[in-house]
Amino acid sequence: MSDAADNPGRRNRPPMTQSQFQSAPEDTSFAKKAKPESLLSGYERGAAFDEFLAADQQPRPQYARLFGALEEFGPAEMRHRRDACERLVNEQGITYNVYGDARSLERPWQLDPVPFVIAPDEWRALETGLIQRATLLNQILADCYGPQELIRTHWLSPAMVFGQPDFLRPCHGIRIPGNTYLHFYAADLARSPDGRWWVVSDRTQIPTGAGYALANRLVVSRILSEPFRDNHVHRLAGFFRDTQAALMKLSPRGADNARVVMLTPGPLNETYFEQTYLARYLGYTLVEGQDLTVRDNCVWLKTLAGLERVDVILRRVDDDFCDPLELRNDSILGVPGLVEAVRAGNVVLANALGSGLVQSPAFMSFLPGLCKHLLGEALTLPSVATWWCGQKAAREYVLEHLDKLVVKPAFRMRLRLPNPAKAMSDAERVTLRRQIEFDPDLFVAQERVKFSTAPMWEKTGLVPRTVELRVFLVATENGYRVMPGGLTRVSPDAGGQLITMQRGGSSKDTWVISETPVEEVTLLHTAAQKVELRRTGNNLPSRLADNFYWLGRYSERADATARLLRSALLRSNPERAGSAESLIAPLVRTLELQGQLPEISQKPELCQNAEAFEAELLAAIFDPSRPGSLRQTAHQLQRLATLVRDRTSNDMWRALSRLNDRLSTPTSSIVMLSGDATGVLNETLLGLAAFQGLARENMTRAQAWRFLDMGLRIERAVYICTLLEATLCAPEAENPSLLEAVLDVVDSSITFRSRYNLVATLPAVFDLVLLDDKNPRSVLFQVNQLAKHFEKLPKEREEAPGSGKNILAKCVKRLNQVDARELAGTGGDWLASDVGAVIRETLQTLPKLSEAIAASYFAHAEISRTGRGSEA
Amino acid sequence: MRFEITHRTSYTYASPVRDSFNEVRLQPFNNHVQVVESFLLKILPAARLRHRHDFYSNVVHHFEIIEPHSTLTVESQLRVITSNPPVIAPAAEPWPLARIGEALREPRVFDFLQDSHFVEMSPEVWRFALDATAGQTDTWQAALAVMRMVHAELKYESNSTSVHTHARDVLRDKRGVCQDFAHVMIGMCRALKIPALYVSGYLATESASATHAWMEVLIPGLGWRGLDPTHNRPVDETYIKLAVGRDYSDVAPVAGNYKGTTDRKLEVSVKITPLS
Repeated sequence: MSDAADNPGRRNRPPMTQSQFQSAPEDTSFAKKAKPESLLSGYERGAAFDEFLAADQQPRPQYARLFGALEEFGPAEMRHRRDACERLVNEQGITYNVYGDARSLERPWQLDPVPFVIAPDEWRALETGLIQRATLLNQILADCYGPQELIRTHWLSPAMVFGQPDFLRPCHGIRIPGNTYLHFYAADLARSPDGRWWVVSDRTQIPTGAGYALANRLVVSRILSEPFRDNHVHRLAGFFRDTQAALMKLSPRGADNARVVMLTPGPLNETYFEQTYLARYLGYTLVEGQDLTVRDNCVWLKTLAGLERVDVILRRVDDDFCDPLELRNDSILGVPGLVEAVRAGNVVLANALGSGLVQSPAFMSFLPGLCKHLLGEALTLPSVATWWCGQKAAREYVLEHLDKLVVKPAFRMRLRLPNPAKAMSDAERVTLRRQIEFDPDLFVAQERVKFSTAPMWEKTGLVPRTVELRVFLVATENGYRVMPGGLTRVSPDAGGQLITMQRGGSSKDTWVISETPVEEVTLLHTAAQKVELRRTGNNLPSRLADNFYWLGRYSERADATARLLRSALLRSNPERAGSAESLIAPLVRTLELQGQLPEISQKPELCQNAEAFEAELLAAIFDPSRPGSLRQTAHQLQRLATLVRDRTSNDMWRALSRLNDRLSTPTSSIVMLSGDATGVLNETLLGLAAFQGLARENMTRAQAWRFLDMGLRIERAVYICTLLEATLCAPEAENPSLLEAVLDVVDSSITFRSRYNLVATLPAVFDLVLLDDKNPRSVLFQVNQLAKHFEKLPKEREEAPGSGKNILAKCVKRLNQVDARELAGTGGDWLASDVGAVIRETLQTLPKLSEAIAASYFAHAEISRTGRGSEA
Repeated sequence: MRFEITHRTSYTYASPVRDSFNEVRLQPFNNHVQVVESFLLKILPAARLRHRHDFYSNVVHHFEIIEPHSTLTVESQLRVITSNPPVIAPAAEPWPLARIGEALREPRVFDFLQDSHFVEMSPEVWRFALDATAGQTDTWQAALAVMRMVHAELKYESNSTSVHTHARDVLRDKRGVCQDFAHVMIGMCRALKIPALYVSGYLATESASATHAWMEVLIPGLGWRGLDPTHNRPVDETYIKLAVGRDYSDVAPVAGNYKGTTDRKLEVSVKITPLS
């Protein structure tokens, strides 16, 4: 008996049922004495407010239903669901980049399966407070970048505005549509022991995290599908639909023509995953600064088909980096002339440039007064108590209470401050006091808040962990709207106070529950909407075309390398020392020319010693420090895949990730056997086949695919020509065993046998591998494919050196002129034959073709600064 | 006095560059001591010009050249009538130094009391400023004393510094050009809490082939007054003011970026002709 079929009651959770069933006997024996391992046996709430247990140790009402479900699952089931959670995070490739982490660029996202639950009435109160706060902060920004009445009337000190690096002078006086500076706003909330919510920090420049909140939701709603349904959890999609609508409406050319792009600082940014994820979810092109250009005060996207007008930029680049002309002139992330385009009203940035100003904690101490002054009402959602040392009374209070408070930089700048998690030493206190007295404007002090705790899953049960909630708002036509949910961040250890993802915290899905069933929303168009059908996507940015091209080249390079190494390994049998060497000579020569076996022809002793030679082959596979090793190529592949991540499917991404993982697994301690190595090579080839197959079958025949395939074709033509030339150089070129090896490498043995049914001969092999236009591995086939691609590409640039089209036409003509039968009569000097000449020419032509493609389609150039005039 | 000025800046690039985006600050202020009769800005290769006022009320022209080009010329031609600002008697004591903090009542003054890109108020600067003003009780007198000290201590030496030299290095080497004299003096005045700003412009008495730089201090009740530490004197009608800012970085006559080689040659010529 196996599974759910015999167990009708459990049918609705098949994947977990079986193992739970198996572990049941142990559970029951234990259950006789105590209650079965309760999820709560390790849950000891401390002095902090606990989100889950009330003072009477009973679950709070909003958690009751969820907790009931978790109890019913039991620990074993929970473990499975936790594993499923981790697997889904990995499969979706959710990552977070940690700066300065040598191990790897990307770190898997940490997600705890137990959601954070918020009760309906509590959420309504938070919503009101957050909307008020966003409205207030936006009004302050509008004043600081406009009339500056608040400074003139002494509501704000000049130091708070002009003293901040985030006040952008070039942006003062720019008219912003609707006076909306803050399109997106996020706040970090914490709950103090008395149960009140406080704003710990405001995020006004680039509020990040909404994408992670969405990613968390998609994972948790799958692993806890039953409780998710039963709890009436508010959906997040409505928020993103409002975001789309709001951004479209910002377009200076009207919503019907709106082109929205998301401006990213690039893959090294800590939240790059989120950027690709959101860009894809919202349907925006993800661009880097170099993809955009300003012409006549309008912003354009550089695509293969020419320039396309951009109306709205959702920016993830810090505001002072957005324009090297008017803002930071050392920025390479921005677009020269962008500020002037904004000033002219031809493009709208969300958030507006300069909105980082009110992110400063110094503003917190002024918000209650400003709220009354500007909105005529009391601030409903309080900030954590904050003192800005630029004010005399506040400074005196801070200096008196240094040990009780956390001192922070008031503005976005680095200051050396004592670690707030530890008690201050006397020396530290003296230094800090002197720093504050010397330049008080730069410091704020905040009350230490005891954050609340919420249940987190740990190995066998639930434990309380410190949490902080980030919530998100978007400005719509009808005012601010709050995402019903958020990103809950969890401290990495018990009693933790500082929660940052940089330091390894975890996260949770956030459930805002409703008394009644919630409305289902998706981002899909409803039937009533008019949908414009599109068949083309000529909007590929040139930079991405470049990346796709190299992705194609590297995938084929990995494939060729793996095939060559596999054939060489299989044939270099230590039992047959010496004899094999001459038979794989063309393979070894090709590997040498391509860099996997550098200068091996200078070391004949290596080829004589079978074991040393095998070690050399293994190094060519696994050595991460050897340029051109398969491992390095796989690494390059994954790097390139990162760069085009928002344009490729998750499956393609997974195929490459797995490849890279597989090649980096063997550690130095394990002695690799050649048998294991061929196994790895086989897997590598299957992985690459999967990748190339997915590309062929799943990518539309648009430009991205075209460039990927062009890269692949050029690389394949290069390596086959190299191999064929090396074959003609080999003394034993006519040896059938050698020719078999060549056929094996180019994956044409089966075809050959089915056609000729005899031992391999030079003319027959060369006809099949070089000139047969039906063989997808022949050189002529590659060149023909390339010519077809060129027909479909936008016109080449005229000033580009040498036309790719002409180069190809000549190449095809030459290949069609030769006859492989010629090789039969050459009598040993095969290289001097016409066939040899054509191969050589093709090898010289292909790099020129690659250059022509780059010159026409990938034009980038370094940015220099205009020198400034000299002065007397 | 009446002047005609031609100011030409030319870049020659070793290989063609493109996507050039630039800001120009070459149009003089129009105010009660300086009336601009005419102003013409020419760009070669031809480019469309737009202008705006920046945060410090300077006129800024923008232009872009997308197409590849090997030379870029920015030329301004202007006529201006200047007059002497109201004189403050050399011995006058218009505002007590002890009350200089009240200058901050005007919010926009804040910027001219802070560190800026090329100017910082280090302890050395502060000590230097205190030495220069020992015994001074009046703001104007203190500013004059600082000017005398800067003029006496710094040696004028052409090409001894670049446009990117920080005031701290000037003070260490005790030499520089007009830009450096102005930066050092600005730092010292700010250290004394006297608001100080940077001025770029032309000095007509010099047989000058380039622009000049000086500074202004704020004397509460009287306004901003120009002092030229390079020549150790208050400014008069021979000075033509182009732009003001916290320091040189706010007023560069031509600044921008482009795509292409950094190998380039720069030529600047300024011709000032007195008209009757």
